[in-house]
Amino acid sequence: MSNVLVTHADEPIGRRVVKALFHDPDIGRILATGDGPPPRSFDRFLAGTEPRVVYARLELAKHRPVSDLFHSARYRGAEIDAVIYVPRHGAPAGVSAPTLAGLPERTAEARLVLQHSLEDPSVRSLVAISSASVYKLPPGNANRFDEDSELDLDPDVAPDIRSWIDCDMIFHGEVHNDRLRILLLRVPTVVAEGGYVYLNPALEGPPGPRLRAIGFDPICALVSDKDVARAVRAALTAPTSGIYNIAGSEAVPLSVLASWTGRSNVPVPTTLLGWLGAGFRWLGSETASASVETRHLRYGFTLDTRRAERELGFRPGYRIGLARAGDGALRLEAAPI
Amino acid sequence: MKTTVPSAPADAPVEVLVPVPATPSVLGSDPFAEAEEIDPFLERLDALIAARAPVRPAPRPAAPRAIRTQPRPAARETPERPETAAHDEATASTRPAGRAGEPNLARIHRRRWTTTPTLDEVELPAPDGWLDRLLGDDERQRLAALTHLVEGEARYDRYGFSPRIVKRAFPLFYALYRLYFRVRSQGHENLPAEGPAILAANHGGVFPFDGAMVVTDSLLNTDPPRLPRAIVDRWAGSLPWVNIFFARVGQVIGTRENFADLLDDGNVVLVFPEGIDAIRKTITQRYRLQRFRVGFVEQALRAGAPIVPVAIIGSDDQAPILYDLKPLARRLGLPVAPITPTFPWLGPLGLLPYPVSYRIVYGEPLRYHERFGPEGADDARLVRYIANQVRRDVQHLVDRSRR
Repeated sequence: MSNVLVTHADEPIGRRVVKALFHDPDIGRILATGDGPPPRSFDRFLAGTEPRVVYARLELAKHRPVSDLFHSARYRGAEIDAVIYVPRHGAPAGVSAPTLAGLPERTAEARLVLQHSLEDPSVRSLVAISSASVYKLPPGNANRFDEDSELDLDPDVAPDIRSWIDCDMIFHGEVHNDRLRILLLRVPTVVAEGGYVYLNPALEGPPGPRLRAIGFDPICALVSDKDVARAVRAALTAPTSGIYNIAGSEAVPLSVLASWTGRSNVPVPTTLLGWLGAGFRWLGSETASASVETRHLRYGFTLDTRRAERELGFRPGYRIGLARAGDGALRLEAAPI
Repeated sequence: MKTTVPSAPADAPVEVLVPVPATPSVLGSDPFAEAEEIDPFLERLDALIAARAPVRPAPRPAAPRAIRTQPRPAARETPERPETAAHDEATASTRPAGRAGEPNLARIHRRRWTTTPTLDEVELPAPDGWLDRLLGDDERQRLAALTHLVEGEARYDRYGFSPRIVKRAFPLFYALYRLYFRVRSQGHENLPAEGPAILAANHGGVFPFDGAMVVTDSLLNTDPPRLPRAIVDRWAGSLPWVNIFFARVGQVIGTRENFADLLDDGNVVLVFPEGIDAIRKTITQRYRLQRFRVGFVEQALRAGAPIVPVAIIGSDDQAPILYDLKPLARRLGLPVAPITPTFPWLGPLGLLPYPVSYRIVYGEPLRYHERFGPEGADDARLVRYIANQVRRDVQHLVDRSRR
């Protein structure tokens, strides 16, 4: 029986992870943290006199609140032995622009979570979710990356991707720690029911038009948020540590994914991408792919997941596609294989 | 090249291997010069194999379902070299199992192969639009079989291949195949009916019509229909629209990971091991194969895939290059800036291929993986040697087919 701490449980991926762990008989208590108030879907988890799930509001990027949490009676009482780091995928609460705001916080959060997990002797494993956009994208469509593929350490890389790389390397540096078992899960575009897209630099954010390089239609590897939760569960019980690519069985062109998720895709010449992005940002638009590396709007990638299959026993359990909802509209769904 | 050393004692004539510089040919460099230069390595080849740890052979994983197999001819003796009894005895205990025994596939990890159903299992679809009416029943049935390569709602595989786009583009390639290039082909029995294989072919012409014709020919003459996935240069992936079209019709950027993944999926992969040098050949070098890259050999050994040599006659005649303006090509970032009998004199139209007659010949599969196993891929000299052997086989096939 394992007791776990889940960060950013108020965000969609974190919510899905908490939900999956709640129904796992091998998981005892769950301490969920988040920036905002507890999601309404947690109401039934939090009900009762001694609920298995405890929710705490926490500014994870600040040292004092995090230190207070790890030394609090609530944390000690929960006897946490595993930490699941679900990263901030968008802007922090109160920040409307989804572009550059929130990126330093993401890195700070990763560092603090790792530091306190290393210091706490009761924590034996740390599962961190990272983005597969950390890989260096050479020209071509599609590139296939395994865990040993080169990271994009170009100093001119877009800030959003730089932030993911920083987080990735923070955990990467401690992967071979003797005491703390660290598993880093690199996931591609995460798709959730209803057409929500996460961790895709070209499509993230609220609905609206998206820019795409004309003459290119990069392949996007997909994974369902349910499969991400399954991978986290598999990582908690696996006896190994290391870096693992996690992906579903689908990969679709960016234009198809945009249409699936209700976003129009506007192809523009590559040379204009930067100017148009800056213009949209200046106009205050949240929908422009302002900080996106132009390479990600031209070239795509898929992930080699054989290591995760071999060592974690993870195989995608959900197939992603359009399904007709009750109101007759076609919506993105993840159906069990 | 073998020569007798005159200074050797008369009572014990010794034949030693001395590399002799190749004589420059009027047709360019001798394609076999390198193969002969490396010949001394043959003498040490078995010693290298013997030095390796023995590998226990494992049975080949069962196919997911029974698929009608085409008759497979006996594999050739490779590599061809004399073997002494003493030598055989010394290496017999440690040599990985070859063709005579179990294949040496112990370390090959495989997932389920992606296969197409046989034509008997595919229902003939009704014609869909006027383009479909240009095709016969057999062709439509073969295209319908391709839809089984992609699963799920997405209708794209992980490299962007779309059977729907192939179906739309096929009438054009079919017209090129039947009417424009008038392709004749032979040796289809050498294409494996299932599992991974590498087609190693000669290459020519500014535009890769030869690749398109091999893919079309394979699709039209195999049962179950096999669509070779052509490996293309990374440069093609950076061209607007071209990269999309290439991806949709099944071509894949040539990285190690992509190549390994395709073979792991049980695909037939078409490679032009000469690489970009092939399209820079001038008219005096027609059908003289350039130096082969070695990546495809490594992948063949690792994946346990046979290498099928393929000769394409016609590709070097479709747009013979009189002169390559290399400085201009470098300045424009192009692999080649050709001057042909029609380009640039006729403008862009001059780049169109001439309506030459194509001939495609598939040679007998080379099963080096059974002899050397996946660990052979780590031996750079062995890999280079095999690449030279494959080049020699393709060159022989080309020369024979031109007669």
